[in-house]
Amino acid sequence: MRLPELFRTSIFRLTAFFALGSAASSLILFGFIYWQTAVYEKGRITRLLMQEADIITSEPTDRIKQDVETNLAGDFHRATFAALFDAKGEYLVGNLSVIPKGLPSDGKVHDIYVDRNDDAFDVFENILAVARPLPDHGTLIIGRSIVELQNLRTIVTRSLLLGVFPAAILAILAGVGLSLRTQRRIVAANQTVARIMRGNLRERLPVKGTSDDFDRLTISVNRMLDEIERLVNQIRGVTDNIAHDLRTPLTRMHTRLIATRNESRDPNDIDDVVDRALTDLNLTLGIITALLRISEIEDGRRRAAFAILDMSDVVQTVADLYEPIAEEKNLEFDLDMSVTAQVRGDRELLIEAVANLVDNAIKYTPAGGKVCVRSFQDDRGAVVIRVADSGTGIPQSEYDAVFQRFYRSRATRHIQGHGLGLSLVQAIAHLHNFAIQISDGRPGAIFDLVCQIQSEQSAA
Amino acid sequence: MSLAPHDSALSIAAHAHSILLVEDDLEIALNISRDLSRRGYSISHTATAQDGLAQARRGAFDLMIVDRMLDDIDGLTILETMRAEAMSKPVLVLSAMGGSEERVKGLRAGGDDYLIKPFDPEELVARIEALLRRSSSARETSLQVGPLKLDLIERSAWRDQREIDLLPREFKLLEYLMRHRDQVVTRAMLLEDIWQYKFVPETNLVDVHIGKLRRKIDGPGEPPMVLSVRRAGFMLSAPA
Repeated sequence: MRLPELFRTSIFRLTAFFALGSAASSLILFGFIYWQTAVYEKGRITRLLMQEADIITSEPTDRIKQDVETNLAGDFHRATFAALFDAKGEYLVGNLSVIPKGLPSDGKVHDIYVDRNDDAFDVFENILAVARPLPDHGTLIIGRSIVELQNLRTIVTRSLLLGVFPAAILAILAGVGLSLRTQRRIVAANQTVARIMRGNLRERLPVKGTSDDFDRLTISVNRMLDEIERLVNQIRGVTDNIAHDLRTPLTRMHTRLIATRNESRDPNDIDDVVDRALTDLNLTLGIITALLRISEIEDGRRRAAFAILDMSDVVQTVADLYEPIAEEKNLEFDLDMSVTAQVRGDRELLIEAVANLVDNAIKYTPAGGKVCVRSFQDDRGAVVIRVADSGTGIPQSEYDAVFQRFYRSRATRHIQGHGLGLSLVQAIAHLHNFAIQISDGRPGAIFDLVCQIQSEQSAA
Repeated sequence: MSLAPHDSALSIAAHAHSILLVEDDLEIALNISRDLSRRGYSISHTATAQDGLAQARRGAFDLMIVDRMLDDIDGLTILETMRAEAMSKPVLVLSAMGGSEERVKGLRAGGDDYLIKPFDPEELVARIEALLRRSSSARETSLQVGPLKLDLIERSAWRDQREIDLLPREFKLLEYLMRHRDQVVTRAMLLEDIWQYKFVPETNLVDVHIGKLRRKIDGPGEPPMVLSVRRAGFMLSAPA
């Protein structure tokens, strides 16, 4: 991996930012501690020096010299400065040989640098000092070294150099490491995605099993891929079915037309062949139309045209159309729409859905049987439109399958149809957020269209 | 009871109505032209929307048939332009796009009817007839065809002196047939116009309804008025 690429990774940027931030905060913290200590220490020394100067100067002049000597003699740390000068500024006693420049004789404490006049050492150092005029016009100087503060500053700086900067460098190194690791996973993921895009839908992104955030993302992407694969396979299955179901009538047509061209010259025969070819052609066109309708409905765009409508009006319209058909087939047709519901929906589609159910019920019920359309409220308050018949019924094992495109129950395969009616009903029910359920009518089949009541739907 | 196609019934009304056909598929255009001219219509055909609109503006036609998917443009744009320019001639839209959304789009653009490809020539002719004669449907209070009389206020039907007892749905069906007297009405037209059914069911729904009505209209010994037209649909006519 090239370096610039590494520096652009989000993890590297994050660690770099974090390292910089923690270094800056340490710097501020240490600086603040040093500053506060210096202020406090200087204040304390200033107060001490003033008190001492007050005490010494309040004594008689001859005692002062002695005091200075005692003061110096007791200072084993060599932190104290004291000296006495006469009225002409000549050195009398103490460890300063001259009155330091920059120290006015004003009785206030000043921060200065001096040469200490010492037998053993000759030290140039930073002190706080005060110069007091004496009654005999001499000058008393008292001071205290603040070299400790300088030492403190050195320690702080060294700690920073030795502590914070290596820590920052470590953080950056960690960042590089982490980004390298992430980058490797991203590269692996990218390669997998490329393979998937080339059509290998079975590939999945690598999961490390650490259940970190990257893993979680990977897992949900993999789940999405599972779903896509399932849908693609389903579409593939449907396409195969379509091809098969279209091919069957087309092949019949093809065979018959060829045979007629090659053999028959009888006009009556030709008429018959043309009629049968048209029947097959209409069947294939019917399949295509139904498929297009299903995908149009599944698209969901029709929801835009939904309006409030009365389910009893829908059922009444269907009953109006189908009652004579049932009569013609010598079936008892029973309609009871005492419970109704106002729903949001597409009238045309709901009529089509109910009509398909009634059409099926009539188609699969032998003469002398009964088809019953009624409405009731289920225990959850939803209005159910029930279409029940006394026909052959549907085995429980086929309840899900009958909604699949082109599925035709083995028991009813001899009855004409393209096996798309219930898929259409289901698509329409889904579009409306309605449920469609099958149960056993003993005898016959029961189809329930469970309509969401209007208030529930608008709340959803 | 059934009449062969090309029979008098189908060509009665077609006294030289002229039709403008805008269709880019030459084979389909040729077939439509042949079917329609055989029934006495005069056809002028153009293959592009531009020519179609130019001819429409000249106005020398009674009805226009326009295909939706033309080479240069959606046929609906011609229709919209025509309606915007206040040309009110009836227009029948042809389309391979069968979704109900597409149909609504076609009707909203100003189409008077929408026919999905492929279609039977009989279906096309029946719809053209219906469009050309539509203007006469005023607000009558009663309808009469030969001995058959329909009172739209009292909702009663009579054939000569015999009162016919009709269910509401049968009344609607008869009213529709009487308003389209001497015209072929197809199954799809009946489903669309009477029951607002936009799809054609697999069962012989319409035939059953017509059969029930026919038994009530044409009593024993009476000359038949409800006729089946082979391969096309049904027609109500006064007995000859």
